[in-house]
Amino acid sequence: MSSVTHPQPMSSISTGRLALFVTLGTESVFFATLLVAYAALRGQVNWDIPHTLSRLTIPLVNTGILLISAMMVWWSSRAIRRGQASSLRSGLLVSVLLGLCFVAGQIIEFNQAGLRIDDQAFGGVFFTLIGFHALHMLAGVFFLGLNLVRANLGDFSVDRHEAVELGSGFWYYVTAVWVVLFLALYIL
Amino acid sequence: MMVEQAQPILQTRKNRLPGLVSWLTTVDHKRIGLLYLYSAFFFFILGGIEALLMRIQLALPENKFLSPDTYNQVFTMHGTTMIFLVVMPMATGFGNYLVPLMIGARDMAFPKLNSLSFWTFLFGGAFMYSSFLLGGAPNNGWFSYAPLTEKLYSPTHGMEFWSMGILLLGFATTIGSINFIVTIIQLRAPGMSLLKMPLFVWTSFVTSFLAVFSLPSLTTAVLLLLLDRQLGAHFYNVTEGGNALLWQHLFWFFGHPEVYILILPAMGIVSMVIPTFSGKPLFGYSAVVFSAIAIGFLGFTVWAHHMFATGMPDTALLFFSADSFLIGVPTGVKIFAWLGTMWRGKLRFTVPMLFSIGFISMFLIGGLDGIHLAVVPVDWQITDSYYVVAHLHYVLFGGAIFGLFSGVYYWFPKMSGRRLSESIGKRHFWLMFIGMNMVFMPMHILGILGMPRRIYTYSSGAGWDIWNFVETIGAGIIAVSFLIFLINYVVTIRSVPTHEADPWDGTTLEWMIPSPPPVYNFAEIPSVRSLRPLWDEKHPELADWRDDA
Repeated sequence: MSSVTHPQPMSSISTGRLALFVTLGTESVFFATLLVAYAALRGQVNWDIPHTLSRLTIPLVNTGILLISAMMVWWSSRAIRRGQASSLRSGLLVSVLLGLCFVAGQIIEFNQAGLRIDDQAFGGVFFTLIGFHALHMLAGVFFLGLNLVRANLGDFSVDRHEAVELGSGFWYYVTAVWVVLFLALYIL
Repeated sequence: MMVEQAQPILQTRKNRLPGLVSWLTTVDHKRIGLLYLYSAFFFFILGGIEALLMRIQLALPENKFLSPDTYNQVFTMHGTTMIFLVVMPMATGFGNYLVPLMIGARDMAFPKLNSLSFWTFLFGGAFMYSSFLLGGAPNNGWFSYAPLTEKLYSPTHGMEFWSMGILLLGFATTIGSINFIVTIIQLRAPGMSLLKMPLFVWTSFVTSFLAVFSLPSLTTAVLLLLLDRQLGAHFYNVTEGGNALLWQHLFWFFGHPEVYILILPAMGIVSMVIPTFSGKPLFGYSAVVFSAIAIGFLGFTVWAHHMFATGMPDTALLFFSADSFLIGVPTGVKIFAWLGTMWRGKLRFTVPMLFSIGFISMFLIGGLDGIHLAVVPVDWQITDSYYVVAHLHYVLFGGAIFGLFSGVYYWFPKMSGRRLSESIGKRHFWLMFIGMNMVFMPMHILGILGMPRRIYTYSSGAGWDIWNFVETIGAGIIAVSFLIFLINYVVTIRSVPTHEADPWDGTTLEWMIPSPPPVYNFAEIPSVRSLRPLWDEKHPELADWRDDA
């Protein structure tokens, strides 16, 4: 009888996790093609932004903020796996605030870089890469914020917290994308 | 039976809302599938009218039926419509309706997402078409080459409608494909391992992966175009350090997998229809599965064969040419498998079978044309000529549309409880078959004679007149055949339903349940032991799983 109402699934991965993986797969192609556009255009213009430490101040601070937020996210989802709901709440709150700081930092950075979207092709690609990543950060903030609200409503427990895990997964992903963009835009 | 016990659980999802509202709010995969199919047929009529307008304009030399600008809008919307608003949603409609039935599931993994996907698609289509009334439709062809699409050269809002419409349709397809992938991995009935899935499920699976990994490239291309046009960026503007070829690379990195997104579902349908009407299991099932996967992978590596005329290095030309030949191999495997299935089978030439055989023969011609175009020197001669138009219509009309019609006739009894008339259906098939060859076969000749695609008129005396005239008559025959199909639909849908569960002596799970299926599909989730679970049930002594044991 149990097979009628709850058939044994033919796969062992959770449905939400699988959907997230496929979604991140399609996102990855999106960022990869943006990077291809960046690579194709970078060779065509003279990129005169100096690679000095002062130029890297904001990006480095921002990278630090994001890495700390990822650690907070990791810490908060570990907390709920251990049933510590209050740690989950504080971890998510700090992560959301750090995420917003990051986006604010990106806006300042774009203004200070002295680039405009209609400068030359490079201004456009810089704007686009940072802009679409920032939009993903905001999506991540929304996701974590939703989890924060649900955590405050007591929606999560040791046995039931898939949304927390998925939100964390998305956050790790946008952090990893930032590291790639940071390397591509500032270091290489 | 355990069915009685299960009843209370089965009836929890009721349609409380009546009539039209229940269709607008539905999350049932079967209803969403039908919504997709009906919408796609509506757009098919629009795209067909656009094709007829073009054929009327080209019937005679120096014709003044359409203005050049209208002609540009019409061919752009014809291509965009047939690809994004007809073949893709029709395949998605079949997928929605059939994949859960074929894998023994009650619905898709994410029913609400499924509904969002459909309404986004419909809005995207309506949005694009609203451009005709709001200052002019897009007019740069379905692949919208930069820099022609820049504001300077395309000052109307047509490109905005096209770009944002593409973003909407891409979003709809992406979330739909994610849904298919998750559904197929998660919701298969007990015992249905990957290599026991019906071929249509397999091709939907591969198609979904192709969509998920190729559409972002189009999204990027279109977003950059919008930034160029609206915010003054210069991605495709060469004078400001942009790169016009970037568009072509991004577009075709999507565009070539897209070709297989369009054809693989039709191949899946044919792979279901031919075994049924040959009275045999599919010959070389696993070879067909692996050839579909191979086509999926190879499809991502051949995009630049659309760009042979752009001045690529010789090594790139060689690579993309050879790689394109390679795609012929898995395609050939499929054709041999279908022929092998029919070989010495008990053939029944029903209408769905006729359309499937039509698919094989027409797709074969289209595939061979493709091989010609993969030869670089030949391509340099005939690229952007009517030869290319002939090729793409043999694969997409002779291929995809024939395959999809095969599916319409094959599963119509499941969806409606009624069989479409065989006698009217045969008229439909033969007229469509004759009409399509009259339209598209002469395009080969015109292409070799040098007629460029997308010209709105031509002078007499180039040897093109007669063939253009023949093509226009053929287009009229296709239109008549479609009217006959509509008559068949109306006559059938008004007849008394017979509710045959298994009208064709099928072998897969969808034929086990009533026609049309109840909301919950399966009262009892079936257990699967082989590729043909219904065959096993009908012929326990000859069951397929006995061979494996």
